[in-house]
Amino acid sequence: MRLALCAAMMAGAALSAQAPPQKIVVSSPTLKADETMPRDYTPDGRNMSPPLTWSNLPGATKEIAVVCEDPDAGNPPPFVHWVIYKIPPTAKGLPEGIPIDPAAPMPSEISGAIQGVSGFRRAIYRGPAPPPGKPHHYHFVVYALDADLGLKPGLTRADLLAAINGHVIGQGEIVSIYERKAP
Amino acid sequence: MTFISRRDLLRRAAVVGASAAATTGARAFQASDTERSAESLALHDHVMAAAREPLENLTAAEADLLEAIVARLIPTDANGPGATEARAAHYIDRALGGALASSRQTYTSGLAALDRYSRSSRGKAFTELSATDQDSVLIDVETGAATGFTGSSAAFFALVLNHTHQGTFGDPYYGGNANFIGWDLIGYPGIRTMVTAADQKSLEAHTLKANHKSAYDYESFTKATARLSRRNPDEREA
Repeated sequence: MRLALCAAMMAGAALSAQAPPQKIVVSSPTLKADETMPRDYTPDGRNMSPPLTWSNLPGATKEIAVVCEDPDAGNPPPFVHWVIYKIPPTAKGLPEGIPIDPAAPMPSEISGAIQGVSGFRRAIYRGPAPPPGKPHHYHFVVYALDADLGLKPGLTRADLLAAINGHVIGQGEIVSIYERKAP
Repeated sequence: MTFISRRDLLRRAAVVGASAAATTGARAFQASDTERSAESLALHDHVMAAAREPLENLTAAEADLLEAIVARLIPTDANGPGATEARAAHYIDRALGGALASSRQTYTSGLAALDRYSRSSRGKAFTELSATDQDSVLIDVETGAATGFTGSSAAFFALVLNHTHQGTFGDPYYGGNANFIGWDLIGYPGIRTMVTAADQKSLEAHTLKANHKSAYDYESFTKATARLSRRNPDEREA
């Protein structure tokens, strides 16, 4: 019992001693931070995934994961619009319009990346479709991981966050806003 | 992504429709989405009337749109033929005058809403989109993200998907599952009134040959509500 308690305390000490993630700078050629998302990244347009770019990745990054989430929706929040992981550390971002056909190959610069399951229960990007009433905020969060974790296909955001816990050495985000008006 | 070709008859009709759309393009560009959609659908109906097989309940434009939708729901691909070859849309058209009559108004409003949504979000009629963009539209309809529907678009999607399953995998007597394509697709060996021990063994070994028989090929099956096509009493064999 005493040994187990000791081990738990040591694990806690190790967690608290872990350095905070390095700040990754996330931007986009088409999304402007804290401004309205262009229609083509929503179901009111073509509903493509937006292009993202990032910089200031930690040198020890072994793979990258990205989640798009809406803390203004979901039960419980956030509502998840996109999960993509196993992005190679050489990638400088994500190109626009990641394929929605699971049989289609990923763009060469992110070869090997996998799309996880969103709140729409599909392994693809689906953009904002908030109910009319108030603007919602869409956080594109980028995680730099310190190891190739052998992540399997079909992970949800919760699965992903559990799997990468303790391996996040860099993190950053860009927030975009979208609101639907009542018809 | 597999591109689904339609039946030859519909393919010819689509060419006529595309030509008509081009001649009205400039005028339609200045109209609202609703006006453009209504105008386009009406013109489409007019030019297609002489080109396609007779319909029982849907308009030509509705049938063409429905045909494009079912082709993506159960696509023709490496696994074999799909809802197009099974004539699922034909089944739905026929059933909307009978067992599915209560859904007729839902199809009218739902198909019009889907067409408007496709034009407003993707800039083209659904039938003119690439297969990938058609899938993207249908996913938005399925998830309830599409706008302009009476109630949730997800309910309309679920209805059409259910009827597409019926039209692809139901008994061919009702106008779908043409040439037993749906049953062959899932390996269903067909209706049998008697199963011998040898049949059972073959079934368990997945070697039982499909008999391609409808329930109504047997004298013992009758159903007062089942009706043959008004146009052609032998159409179930088509």
